Amino acid sequence: MSRSFEGVHALRDVTLELRRGEILGLIGPNGAGKSTLVNVLSGFDLPSSGAIELEGRDITRWRPSRRGRAGLARTFQHSHAFRSLSVRENVEVAALGAGTPPRAARERAEELLAALALSANADAPADALAQGDERRLGVARALATSPRFVLLDEPAAGLPEAELPALSEVVRSVRDDREAGVLLIDHNMGLIMEICDRIHVLDQGRTLAEGSPADIRANLDVAAAYLGESAVAE
Amino acid sequence: MRRARAALELLAPVLLVVLVALFGTIVSSSTQTYVVTTLVNVAIVVALYLFIGNSGVLSFGHISFVAVGAWTAGILSMPASEKPAIMPSLVGFLRDTTVGNVPSLALAAAVGAAYALLVGLPLMRLSGLAAGIATFGVLEITHNVLRYWEKIGPGLNTFSAVPETTGLLQACVGALIAIVVAFAYQWSRYGRMLRATREDPAAARAVGVSVYGQRLLAFTLSGAVAGLAGGLYVHLLPVNAESFYLDLTFITLAMLVIGGATSLWGAVVGAVAVSAVDSFLAEAENGVNVFGRTLDLPSGTRIVVVGTLMALVLILRPAGLTGGRELRVPRALRRSVLTKFSA
Repeated sequence: MSRSFEGVHALRDVTLELRRGEILGLIGPNGAGKSTLVNVLSGFDLPSSGAIELEGRDITRWRPSRRGRAGLARTFQHSHAFRSLSVRENVEVAALGAGTPPRAARERAEELLAALALSANADAPADALAQGDERRLGVARALATSPRFVLLDEPAAGLPEAELPALSEVVRSVRDDREAGVLLIDHNMGLIMEICDRIHVLDQGRTLAEGSPADIRANLDVAAAYLGESAVAE
Repeated sequence: MRRARAALELLAPVLLVVLVALFGTIVSSSTQTYVVTTLVNVAIVVALYLFIGNSGVLSFGHISFVAVGAWTAGILSMPASEKPAIMPSLVGFLRDTTVGNVPSLALAAAVGAAYALLVGLPLMRLSGLAAGIATFGVLEITHNVLRYWEKIGPGLNTFSAVPETTGLLQACVGALIAIVVAFAYQWSRYGRMLRATREDPAAARAVGVSVYGQRLLAFTLSGAVAGLAGGLYVHLLPVNAESFYLDLTFITLAMLVIGGATSLWGAVVGAVAVSAVDSFLAEAENGVNVFGRTLDLPSGTRIVVVGTLMALVLILRPAGLTGGRELRVPRALRRSVLTKFSA
């Protein structure tokens, strides 16, 4: 797919496949087109050309809410909490939105709040959460929809180092226990290299490389995109 | 904890309405009319809250649903023998059909809901200023249709001969029905999903919530409550098309804003508080005795004062008198009660 804004190409002929039961890392320098790609995949933006398929169905023209109900969930780079609702209600609403019955939605919320260490704040309004907790709430909300595919937009941003193992554990469990496909965008290369099965690298709207973490680590083009040509030459 | 919170959210506005109704039993009959009007206002403001408070989308058009409710109940409950004199151009089935008080109120609610659904189908895709202006257009269209189309009502004339069945009891029951409906809705899955769209439409869409669908549902339900309130209104006072226009739109929106638009408690507090001030000022415009002195205010004072009050509240307390929150037991009291029970 491609996406351009008034002549500026945010995405150029990018082809990306996310399979169930895998964690696909999406990396690239700032302005590479990562968030544009997530917006196009989740229906918040339309591609200028190309198509998006969800398990064989063309969903290019589907609204975000329909994609959400069809099993494609996403988180946002910045906080998008339902601020006046409690933390528990935030997660419950997400489950309800995906069509889960109320009682099951409540149970699912409790389970996710416990998994993401948010139970202690369950009754607090979401606008009272610290930044790290807000990130985890975003993840809990996306997972509450029981997604088959989930797009995590910088879930580790603002999280203390000590909380990363717990987040990694949750992301892995989404892949292993729920057999969902996870598209993980993050600037934390340690996290990406540790938990991703494959990595897709974008640079200036184009696919620069795709492969296993070891392949990407060894790819000089990727190093150049991140560090600059001169640094790689040295 | 959750059940206690829910119980308080329902009981607080119910208790306030019952207290207002009880107050109506000990005052003079002229003051009682103001009390009954206050209770009808509660029903209208709760209808506004149901949509505006939960969705965050402004509607200037809700008085249209009150008006069609009033028209429905008024026309259908007026004795058939009176209709030809007051509404000579009325279409056949409206002229020949007469129903009792309760069916007329039920039909008022049904027609209010149907009209809101019809209007909402195209308009619920709008937000912000566009939604405000479009719903204002609905008010204008409705007002002019009711004012000039004599096949469906009295046109420029006043609804006279409608049985005056809205006394304290009926108004109180009507206000309580509105409160229970709004409470049940806000605790339902649909109410929670709509409030999520109010907080962040994009995030709500991302988890599968249809913003359009949830808004349309709330708009229709609030149209039903507004229609019921219109039915109560026409059974209370002789009304005409002017009764359901800009003044009522302004005063009821002021009640919602002053009380706190994002809570049921705020809607009821605002309706009661502003109705009290409005009733006093309406009396004062005709001259009223206050502590031995006659207070005689110029005509129009009530709207000026309510407008000023609304501006002051918006400046000093933008979330309204209640802060836009439901009534809660103070944390200290909650803690002391819990300690007592655990001891």
